Amino acid sequence: ILNMLFKTINYSKLFNYTKYNLSTKTKKQKIDFFNPTNDHLALREMIKNFVKNEVDKQALEYNKNEVFNINLFRKLGEFGLLGITADTEYGGSGADAVSAVIVHEELSSSDPAFCLSYLAHSMLFVNNLAQNGNHEQKLKYLPSTCSGEKIGGMCMSEPGAGTDVLGMSTSAKLSEDKKHYILNGSKMWITNGTLDGKTTGDVYLVYAKTGSGRGAGDLTSFIVEKDMPGFSLGQKIENKCGMRASMTAELVFTDVKVPIENVVGTVGGATLCMMRNLEIERIVLAAMSLGIAKRCIEVMNNYSIERKAFGKSIGDFGQIQKAIAESYAEFMAARSYVYNIAQNLELDSYGNGLDADGVKLFAATMGKRVADRAIQVLGGYGYVGEYQVERLWRDSKLLEIGGGTNEAHHKNMVRDLRKFHKEIL
Amino acid sequence: IVIMKLLVGIKRVVDYSVKIRISIDKKSVDLNNVKMSINPFCEIALEEAVRLKEKSIAKEVIALSIGPKACQETLRSALPIGADRAIHIETNLRTDQELQPLAVAKLFKLIALREQVDAVLLGKQAIDGDSCQTGPMTAALLGWPQCTYAASIDLSNKSVALIDRETDNGTERLSVPLPAVITADLRLNEPRYATLPNIMKAKKKPLEIIPIESLKEIDVQPHNTVIRAEDPPSRKAGSLVNSVDELIDKLKNEAKVI
Repeated sequence: ILNMLFKTINYSKLFNYTKYNLSTKTKKQKIDFFNPTNDHLALREMIKNFVKNEVDKQALEYNKNEVFNINLFRKLGEFGLLGITADTEYGGSGADAVSAVIVHEELSSSDPAFCLSYLAHSMLFVNNLAQNGNHEQKLKYLPSTCSGEKIGGMCMSEPGAGTDVLGMSTSAKLSEDKKHYILNGSKMWITNGTLDGKTTGDVYLVYAKTGSGRGAGDLTSFIVEKDMPGFSLGQKIENKCGMRASMTAELVFTDVKVPIENVVGTVGGATLCMMRNLEIERIVLAAMSLGIAKRCIEVMNNYSIERKAFGKSIGDFGQIQKAIAESYAEFMAARSYVYNIAQNLELDSYGNGLDADGVKLFAATMGKRVADRAIQVLGGYGYVGEYQVERLWRDSKLLEIGGGTNEAHHKNMVRDLRKFHKEIL
Repeated sequence: IVIMKLLVGIKRVVDYSVKIRISIDKKSVDLNNVKMSINPFCEIALEEAVRLKEKSIAKEVIALSIGPKACQETLRSALPIGADRAIHIETNLRTDQELQPLAVAKLFKLIALREQVDAVLLGKQAIDGDSCQTGPMTAALLGWPQCTYAASIDLSNKSVALIDRETDNGTERLSVPLPAVITADLRLNEPRYATLPNIMKAKKKPLEIIPIESLKEIDVQPHNTVIRAEDPPSRKAGSLVNSVDELIDKLKNEAKVI
């Protein structure tokens, strides 16, 4: 009887041998790893055109003046990009992690500062709320942030606590009538902390301590809106090295009454909110470094053909060839790592922290290195704003610090390697 | 209530920003690994058609492309702009040389009649062939009026189009009864970017594929052959002249332009 059972099972159908296997004789569809579907390709084409026509030309000027290009930012809302991963029910586009990576890579190849503001809004606020908020909160805050009418960010770091997240001191105490939490403290390095340089931005996710200890259960995530009494702009951070077209600020909370309806998730449950968002945050930050590297390689490649010295193109000299070739290989290695992790990222899950840290650690340093080589290849011209690479070099450094310092990644990765990944699959 | 249908031509051409090279056999432009895009004037025509739909003047916009399988990618980037459906006539004739305006015009006539469209919107020319012939030929084959180099199209009276037409001396205003063939010039509009939600919705829109072999009654064979393609001569250095007379002499006898 068993024999008959086995005979009736068609093995090739069972194991899908005919569809796709490791034999080279099977005719395979060509895989575009960085544009897995036609939609991704169409999205990338669209952003590339937008960058070429609108973003490139304003990058240097806004960098020089340390001003946020709010009109250009709102255009991203028209394209459905500000709520790229949020549910269509609330005004988002419901797209996946690879789509977010594509947008960040392409925007960042032109204006990383602009892209950073985009990241803070679409990932640190919109995506976080879309994943962690309840229906009422999403209904109240997502439509206007997906359209670009309201622009926001996320407040975690403080003047005295960055990597040491649990060392934050901004407190949230339940009011007497139990209808509000009273927030006191200050937050630092907040991208989109101000939009006009004078007042706060529109809406933020703020992490504050509701517990007295240093445990994970002591933090809560709140939605804080502009013009809530006591919530003010401490200062716009001026004279940043890079990311200058992105407004960074210190925000101050003085007895800010936040209604309990604005608690995201549960009281003491902020760690879950953080963990769920961490992975996509780090991956898109890594994607920013990819964009920087990509543009730097294009610029130095073109320059090495045009620039002549000693009777030939400088690209004929070994040191220039080394700079370009090594940059390209490192870029492709980082790109493959980032897109590989993005392909399988489920936006509402967590636990993939090891590679989220890994891609950012690797890509950030790669981006900085490639930008540095680009300046060197361009020589004197590389030192000048008009040739892009010095701005990309200054912007690239931030990725080794913001959204997780290199050192933070070291700490996290070893913790994860010890706990879960002693054997690497 | 109008049931106006528009047929828009979409040509897949070398992207305008590419620095083209001549192929090794010097008979064509090298298309290997070259970035291809939708012809800019076709984009403008499509944008106009979509705007007419948004003004509720047109009901349906059909995008038609003729060429190799890769044209489907180009059509898939036209659908998010606002076309309702796409038709791809598949042929392996080189679209920059072998598939020539008369053949294209015949195919546009076929589809225009099959779909009973009220207007055919094309780009004024394709940036690879630069013939400017497809529009006029399509109109002639259909026996329809034509208006080329449209800078603005007013279709609020749905049976007669009021079109501003660009000429070398300025703009003329024509009144063109429908159905008609209209070709788009640069100033007609500024094409939009596709939005992400529209990109995602576009894959549900129908794309009909017609192999050229199934249209046996239409002869699409080229009537011209490109025998040689070469780079323009590289620019020689100029020379300084000492007087106007010397300039006139050189223009007349050396450059032979006067």
